[in-house]
Amino acid sequence: MRIKVWGARGSVPAPGPEMNRYGGNTSCAELTLASGEHLILDAGTGIRTLGLDLTTSPHVNILLTHLHLDHIQGLMFFPPCFRADADITIWGPASPEASLEDRVARYISAPLSPVEVRELPCDVSFQDTPPSEWQIGSATIRCEAVNHRGPTLGFRITEGDTTVCYIPDHEPALGTVLEQTEPEWISGYDLARDADLLIHDCQYADDEYPLHVGWGHSGMGDALTFASRVGARRLLLFHHDPLHADGFLDDLHAAARRRWSELGGDPAVVAMAMEGEELEVGAAATPAGLATTA
Amino acid sequence: MTMMAAQKPLELILARNLLTSISTPAFLVDQDAALVFYNEAAGALLGRSFEDVGRMSPEEWTSTYGPFGPDGKPVELDELPTTRAVRDGRPAHAAFTIRSAGGGTREIESSAFPIVASEEGSSGAMIFFWPQKPNGAEG
Repeated sequence: MRIKVWGARGSVPAPGPEMNRYGGNTSCAELTLASGEHLILDAGTGIRTLGLDLTTSPHVNILLTHLHLDHIQGLMFFPPCFRADADITIWGPASPEASLEDRVARYISAPLSPVEVRELPCDVSFQDTPPSEWQIGSATIRCEAVNHRGPTLGFRITEGDTTVCYIPDHEPALGTVLEQTEPEWISGYDLARDADLLIHDCQYADDEYPLHVGWGHSGMGDALTFASRVGARRLLLFHHDPLHADGFLDDLHAAARRRWSELGGDPAVVAMAMEGEELEVGAAATPAGLATTA
Repeated sequence: MTMMAAQKPLELILARNLLTSISTPAFLVDQDAALVFYNEAAGALLGRSFEDVGRMSPEEWTSTYGPFGPDGKPVELDELPTTRAVRDGRPAHAAFTIRSAGGGTREIESSAFPIVASEEGSSGAMIFFWPQKPNGAEG
């Protein structure tokens, strides 16, 4: 599998020269399967540039973890939405309150939007994520509710013997001590267990987290502890706080690598998500370390 | 690969985290009414911590702790607020006697609240206990 990060920012887009290297677009990652199919993980503002890159007749699946604005804001600016030859399936969490289409339409409708979902020329369908695993192309996908504010999913995507787990908004340490909690009581544990690549929330530095307890995001130490507990082979820290400029994220990355070493891991397997970055993800036999190609 | 119990649904994880953080004695049961956690305050009431006893089936925890009715006989499992909450998805309340690990008894009131996360039914229930003051106590 191949992953490309199109937006690694959390909460709100954070443009500016001091954000250039890690990027200012909000959550969006593209997973290209060996079968050639594209899975798009979340539709933050990063999906706009992703869409510009899709030149052939697009058939895409978009997996939404939840409907907070930083995960859907780019949807209305996703170029394939305005192409009649595009076939788009949007998967997201079910709700007893309203259909997925109706909930997304609260954003893609007046007065927030100049267009309505029904006016989009593409062929778009909305699907509640099923409770059991399902297949898209050569990938098997499973989702679970995870601890964030409001109904939120994490995704486990397996192709062959390679597994990627995507949990961009997650506060597994809320109300518990991750180091001491039994695995079955850790939010997202089963989903992320033994993943070849875990893409996980790291919104805060550890000294920022106490002021944000209950906001649904992780401090760096908790993200690493979670990754260590689930046995993730590589870790991509994601959902950067909009206040964190490049220099801050460099320092946070260095601190994360030191902490990972203290936990007994190879620091080379811990990376900070960076817009435009592409990662080749292999199975367990792949030597540890991120193969960055962009 | 290490073996682990089945992952608990998020709503039970959050409920356990809540119960861990409060001083009202409380139980957490799963969809089968098995006792999967109780907090430190309940442990103080019962005389044993949850870490000492672990998960218990409904039959196990009722034979260990009761409860017992005014006649001293065990309350039928089907009549417990816990069972009613899990089975019917409705809150339930009752007063009865429980027995601690040391053999002593306490009068308590108990309220059970179902935890319903989907249309498929209850994932379990939270049960809160209010110990009654000993006879003759004021206030």
